[in-house]
This record gives sequence, C-alpha cells and structure tokens, in this order.
Amino acid sequence: MLVSTLVLNGLVMGAIYALIGVGLSLIFGVLEIVNFAHGQIYTLGALALALLVGHFGLGFLPAAFVSALGVAVFGYILYVLFLQHIRKGEFERGIILTLGIGIVVQNALIYFYGATPQIVDTEFSFRDISFLGLRVEMIKAIAVGFAIVSITTLHLVLTRTRFGMAIRALSQNREAALVVGMRPAVIAAHAVVIGTGLAGLAGAVLAPVFTVHPLMGAPILFKAFAIVIIGGLGHLPGAVVASLIIGVSESLAGGLGSASLQDAAVFLVMIAMLQFRPMGLFGKGVRI
Amino acid sequence: MAAISMNSPWPPLRWFGLLAGVVILLTLPLWSPSDYITSIATLAIFFAVASTGLNVVYGYAGLLSFAQVGFWGLGAYVSALLVTDHGFSPWTAIACAGVVCVITSLAGGLAALRVSRDAFVVITLSFSLLLQLLARSWTSLTRGAMGIPGLPSPRILAGDTVLLDGNTASGFYWIALGCGALVIAATWWLLRSRIGRAFIAVNLDENLARSQGISVFLHQLSAFALSALIGGLAGALYVFKLGIVDPGIFDIYYAQMMLIIVIVGGAGHFWFVLLMSFVFTALPELLRLAPELRMILFGLVLIITIQFMPQGLGGYLADRRNRMLRRTE
Repeated sequence: MLVSTLVLNGLVMGAIYALIGVGLSLIFGVLEIVNFAHGQIYTLGALALALLVGHFGLGFLPAAFVSALGVAVFGYILYVLFLQHIRKGEFERGIILTLGIGIVVQNALIYFYGATPQIVDTEFSFRDISFLGLRVEMIKAIAVGFAIVSITTLHLVLTRTRFGMAIRALSQNREAALVVGMRPAVIAAHAVVIGTGLAGLAGAVLAPVFTVHPLMGAPILFKAFAIVIIGGLGHLPGAVVASLIIGVSESLAGGLGSASLQDAAVFLVMIAMLQFRPMGLFGKGVRI
Repeated sequence: MAAISMNSPWPPLRWFGLLAGVVILLTLPLWSPSDYITSIATLAIFFAVASTGLNVVYGYAGLLSFAQVGFWGLGAYVSALLVTDHGFSPWTAIACAGVVCVITSLAGGLAALRVSRDAFVVITLSFSLLLQLLARSWTSLTRGAMGIPGLPSPRILAGDTVLLDGNTASGFYWIALGCGALVIAATWWLLRSRIGRAFIAVNLDENLARSQGISVFLHQLSAFALSALIGGLAGALYVFKLGIVDPGIFDIYYAQMMLIIVIVGGAGHFWFVLLMSFVFTALPELLRLAPELRMILFGLVLIITIQFMPQGLGGYLADRRNRMLRRTE
C-alpha cells in the first residue's frame, strides 16, 4: 500500500516535471540552446497565477490559461530580443545569455514582489479524489490532467501536422531542413513560445501545490536539466520517460529513505544513467 | 575564441599597468581609509584567484564549467575540517585541500568529459549542487547548516616573531595577496608553457590538435584539474578569512560572480580577468547597492557583454588594436 501510494505520487510529480522538461528539450532541440532562464520562466507562471487568483479573484482554470499565455508572450519577446541572435555552435553564448536573463528576472521579482513565500488558495484546494483506491489531492490531479492534455497535444502537433514535422526536421537535421526551404527563424520562434508557455503552465498549475516565491525556479530548473540529460538532449519522448523516472525515484527515496535522500535522488539517477549511456536514454551516439 | 592572448592588447600599457597594479596592491592597507576597504580588496583577491581557475578551464581549454564553485567550497570544507577535527596547521590543511580537489576533479572529469559539451555544463553544475547538498545533510561530518565555526587565523612566522597576523585586516590582506600572487604567477607561467599552448590548441580546433599528436582528453582533463586546484586553494584560504564555513560557501552567487568576471574580462584574457575581479567586487560595495539591485546590474552587464562584445573587454580591445595595426601597415 505504501509503495503504491509513493509510486502514484511520483508519477504525479513526474507528469508535472515533464511539462517543464519537454519545453526545455524542445527549445534545445530546435535552437541548440540550454535555456538557463527556464526556471525563472516557470517562476513567472507561478507568480502570475498567484497574482491573478489572489489579487484579481480569477478562478484557477482561467488564471492558469492566462498565466501560460502571458509567459509564452514573454518567451516570444525573449526570442526576438535575444535568442534569435545566437548562432549555431555558440552554445556557450546561449547559456551565458539565458543565465543573465534568469538572474535579472529572478532578482527583479525579488525586488518588486518580495522574497516571502506565499500560499495560493484556489477553489480546488483541500479536496481529494480517489484513484484506484488511492487518494490524490485534487489540485495535483488537475495538474496531471493539464500535463497529459498539453503533452499529448504537443505530440499530435509534432507528428501529425506540417508545422510539427518542420520542427522535428529542424531539430533532427538542420542542414537538410534548410535545403528544402524551411524558415528556421519562424520555427524557432514557435518552439520558444511553446517551450516557455509549457514552463509557464507548469508554474501556474504547481503554484497551489507548493508555496510561491521568486527563488522557486532554481531547484526545478535543475530537475529539468537532469530530465533532458537523462532523456537525451532534444529528445521529447525521452524527456517524458526521464520525468517519470525522476518523479518516482524521488518519491520512493523520500518515502522509504529520508528527505536528504529525496533531494539526492535526482543526482544519483543522473550519475548512474550517464555511466551506462553517456548520451542519455535516447540520445544520439555522437559527441556534439 | 580566436583572440586568446596572454598579453595586454596595448604593449606600453602592459608594463606601466603591471607596475602600477603591483604598487597599488602592495601598499593598499597603508593608505586605505578603513579596514572595510581592505577587506573588500582581500575578497577581490580571492575572486581573482578563483576566476583565474575558471579562466583556465573555460577561457583556455574551452570547457564552460560550473564546477569552480564546487571546488571552492570543497577546498573550504576540507581545510576547515582538517584544522578543527584533526589539528592540522592552516597551511598544511590548505595544501591538503588542494590535493583533495585535484583528486576529485580527476575522478569527476573522467566521467564528465565523456559527454557532450552542453551536458558537461549541466553535470558540472550538478556536481556543485551535490556538494552543497552533502554539506547540508551529512551533519555528522559537516555539522549541516550550523557550519564549522572557530577557525584560527593563519600566521606567517619568522622564528618566534610574527611577521604577518591574519587576525588583522591588513595582515590577512598581505597573506592573501602573497598566496594569490604565487598561485596566479604559477598559473601564468604554466599557461605560457607547452601545456598552456596545447590547451588553446585543443580549444581552437580539436581535430587539428589531435592530428598534431595532442591528446584532447588528457589536456581537457588536466585543465579541469588545474582549475580545481586553483579554486580549491582559493576556497581553502578564504574560510580562514570568514572564520566559519557553512553550506553558503557553495552559493550560486559565487558561481555567478566568477562567471561574470571571466565573461566581462574576456575568456582567455589573463590580465583583464584579474582586473575585472577587482571591479566587480569593489563596485557594488562602493555603490552600496541592495543585493537584488546588485544582481540585476550583474545580469544586465552579462547580457549586454554577451550581446555586444562576446569576447569580453580583453577580446574587444585586442580586436581594435589588431584593426588599428592593420590600418597603419
């Protein structure tokens, strides 16, 4: 009973990590930029929801949509101002640039918002639902619902539409994609909007689960990094599988071991995985 | 990464600048208005050493690493533990900390250098985070968040007379300056030698370096180990300035500071990185900015630098000088 509860909780968290990891992986796949501002983008989503629900009295669901949309717009602005100037092969420039953006966003939030953690109460808080005889907080179930719907939609878009195929083509073989006349700038802009939007959505749906504060992005960002490394950089299904592995291992380590083991789980899984597959679970077998 | 140089971009400035720098640094406690200013200068020396370590691995060998703050913290913890729990003298403890950092970096580097360069960045970051987690949760060894207090000040003795006492701000400043200068001079010498040139060759073109019989892996690993040694030594001495070590030593603030110093100074530009460590340590203190405003400023400087002069100040000036020379020819 205990183990099944832990596994279920792990899968729930894993599904939500997937929202963040898939966005990060998508941006890497298309732009070849490891987005160090992804954690702060997630924070923006959470703070936006806290503001919309707490200050403007919006319901949870519309607030989550508006937050994700707002963060996606922010992502587009980032792309136009900064990311589009990064050339292929300048991955260090991309890292340093996004790190700088992350530092500015995080500290601007502390300056204007304050660093005090706050709790977001929604109409779904303090309610549980039963699933296969196990109890799950309703707010977490809704978050999982969001994760499943948006990742499935993304998967369908990527596999069934011309636009999705263009994104995949660009991330699989850039040169060939250029040869057949694709416009990488347009596709890249879309990838950034989708990736940041997903991170914003993750922040929004997780806001009522955790406390909200400007520094909340850093630990999540690290998990997202571990997810894309384990799954293989730029590999979206890999990111989903890795998210579930991380979620479940964290939950089991915390439940059966200790709190510090729970924090260490993500490192241990990553180190173990890299010993056997240095390029990640589904990574390409080449050194970039 | 084409504009790597050991020298200042403008030769007359080189000797004058070096001489002025040495005089200012040597006499600083004598004319500094307060111990506070001397302490800031001491902190700048530590950042100069630690950033030079990052410059070795990133600027010269071309591997962006976030492990520097990890080695800085590891060195700090090892020297603090050896002094308090095992009765080592501060100097022996600092040397041992350097050795531990090198061994750790070799073990870690063997695993981390197998992956792609982007993954390497993330893995070095996770290394630093893992060490912070260990410092927090391995309470039987590290006392957790309480930290290890009561570290003695290092002293330099000549027979029985105390030449320099680390208890005073100026005494510690001169000790840090001496040790820092020693490490930095040794690094400078090493980077000018065959090894340093091999680092640059590996960075500029791995395949070409390989065809010349240079082992890419070996040189990347040794650059990583050298940076770990430098960072570890800096951190090991730094805790004696603080008098206490706690998990805050691994704070991302230190990592960001080292990175901004190297990026703005110019990766691969030895002297500008040293100069920038003083600018970025002193400026926010003198402006008395709130911590958030200081970090916003740092972030903006980082963004502006990478957007408009990605080679940093050193690279920008070297470029201008080259263009000027070409015009006069």
